[in-house]
Amino acid sequence: MERVMEKDTANYKDFTLLSYHHIPGVHNLDVFERAGGYEMMKACFEKDPEAIKEEVKNSGLRGRGGAGFPTGVKWGFFSKDRNAKKYLLCNADESEPGTFKDRFLVEKNPHILIEGMIISAWALGTQKGYIYIRGEFYQQAMILERALKEAYAKGYLGKNIMGKGFDFDLYVHRGAGAYICGEETGMISSLEGKKGQPKLKPPFPAIKGYRGLPTMVNNVESLAAVPWIMRFGAAEYKKFGTEKSAGTKLFSISGDVNKPGVIEVPLGTSLKEIIEVHCGGMRNGNKLKAVIPGGSSAPVLNADDSYSVKMDYEDVASKGSMLGSGAIVVIDETRNMGDILKYTLEFYHHESCGQCTPCREGTGWMESIFKRRETGKAAKSDIELLDKTAASMRGQTICALADAAAMPTQGMIKFFRPELEAYVTTNVNSNKR
Amino acid sequence: MSSNVSEKTHSLGTPFSFTSENLKTYEELLTRYDDVESALLPVLHLVQEQINWLPTEAIAYVSGLMNIPEIKIKEVISFYDMFYDVPVARNMVHVCTNITCSMFGGREIYQGLLKHFDTDYLTPTRDGRISLQKMECLGACEMAPCMRINNDYVGPVDLTAAIQKLEELP
Ligand SMILES: Cc1cc2nc3c(=O)[nH]c(=O)nc-3n(C[C@H](O)[C@H](O)[C@H](O)COP(=O)(O)O)c2cc1C
Ligand code: SF4
Ligand code: FES
Repeated sequence: MERVMEKDTANYKDFTLLSYHHIPGVHNLDVFERAGGYEMMKACFEKDPEAIKEEVKNSGLRGRGGAGFPTGVKWGFFSKDRNAKKYLLCNADESEPGTFKDRFLVEKNPHILIEGMIISAWALGTQKGYIYIRGEFYQQAMILERALKEAYAKGYLGKNIMGKGFDFDLYVHRGAGAYICGEETGMISSLEGKKGQPKLKPPFPAIKGYRGLPTMVNNVESLAAVPWIMRFGAAEYKKFGTEKSAGTKLFSISGDVNKPGVIEVPLGTSLKEIIEVHCGGMRNGNKLKAVIPGGSSAPVLNADDSYSVKMDYEDVASKGSMLGSGAIVVIDETRNMGDILKYTLEFYHHESCGQCTPCREGTGWMESIFKRRETGKAAKSDIELLDKTAASMRGQTICALADAAAMPTQGMIKFFRPELEAYVTTNVNSNKR
Repeated sequence: MSSNVSEKTHSLGTPFSFTSENLKTYEELLTRYDDVESALLPVLHLVQEQINWLPTEAIAYVSGLMNIPEIKIKEVISFYDMFYDVPVARNMVHVCTNITCSMFGGREIYQGLLKHFDTDYLTPTRDGRISLQKMECLGACEMAPCMRINNDYVGPVDLTAAIQKLEELP
């Protein structure tokens, strides 16, 4: 964020996603275009769709929604039949606690997503697309609606785009407050006008998705990376990041740092650098205690691991956690990990869609320990039970929410068992921080 | 109550229908989807833009309009935190009580607001101005502790600032 920017032209040197962010008014189509926007869309219409897919595959871009599955490989599973009805669905649900990067990207620069989606639609041969955005992001949805209108007026969306005989309609669809709609099959149920309940995979949405038809679901950040990759090529993209974690990534950083916010850095940047250089160090000069490195589903790292980890998919995994959505929550020595776990478990219980018994009952039971604590009825042994319950929930359910609740619970117990045991047996009223 | 207030409220037992403007919006919404059902969420949002919440009369109306059974619509409404099957006030305030916001006092702010306005989860304040709802991560943790006042994010806030902002609401 501190790096020097060229004025009014995109800074493609240091950034792939935020390259336009310094330009005033870049949410307007004309400003975006003057800075180089939509050039790649036009160039891509001259390219073979298969070549575009190949370039994205070679770039090593991995899905930025959390799972990190290679985008180009997923695109490879998608029907090549350009006459078949297929959908492109952008996941802008962004509800994983700690995550706010997609909001930051889209509210300043909606057109980079739209350009990325048009190129992707051309490559994939989809005629219709939706941007599923969480209901709370009303203003961001309006920014997107306005940008779409501009793109339609320019003939970049709609029928026979730029005279290429290619049709692509793109709409914003607002959710209504449910974390589970971020899970791709839950999102599809929700788009179909139903409860946002996930469906068993396979079949994967790429084969059988929205309305039973092939549907490509990609995160905002994944789709927005496409124009840069097409402009400079896979080889240039791979110069950012590590061998297996190519490119740059947006990180949302919150908690006990001086400057919380969104940054774009190459994958593999050390967490220490992110905290100390990009986020201005620890709040009040306090000591770091722990970091949640990839959203609330990611197991916590202790101080030692936090200071040695590099933020790429492999290195974070090697510490027993995951890069996830790139949501970093920094926790200092003044915090009680019992509080953090309690907030986390309340969240998962509230958001379980209730279809699977291990998830519905498991999240409820885990949360109940913290409820019992309030009446002085929780025991030290409850932490052991908590660990066992979490273990029993894993790999048993329709979607990954149950795992997402179990993993951070077990991670927390691994590093902070004595603190948690003390926490649940402490009289609530005497435990004001 | 001013006339402005009654415009946006709905008395139980009176039939509901879209304003002619919203009916146009409804028709436009349908063109975006390949089937009618897919427009349900946007249509429910539209009802709430007109009367804040989703009374049985509105559900019956939407059911007739879209040819979706009422029970299905009720199920959908109960699934989503931002659809209200109880009357809510014209100003909806969301207070985040998830991890980062709670680290910075989000829960105390929520409890403090309930106490100050002498109300409960979603229950409109006695003057009918405000409903308070605690929410999961609002996707703005850099503003922690944060809240949404109608459609706008504010944060970081403390209880005093939050009360002041809400007192200023119409
Ligand atoms: C419980 C749960 C919540 C999820 N929430 C989100 C989300 O908010 N945003 C997102 O992009 N992906 C989310 N995902 C991942 C999606 O299911 C899907 O993998 C992703 O949108 C694919 O896009 P990508 O390949 O570009 O990452 C979630 C997954 C699970 C299991
Ligand atoms: S794991 Fe939980 S959230 Fe996912 S489908 Fe089952 S009950 Fe629903
Ligand atoms: S925790 Fe409050 S906005 Fe994320």
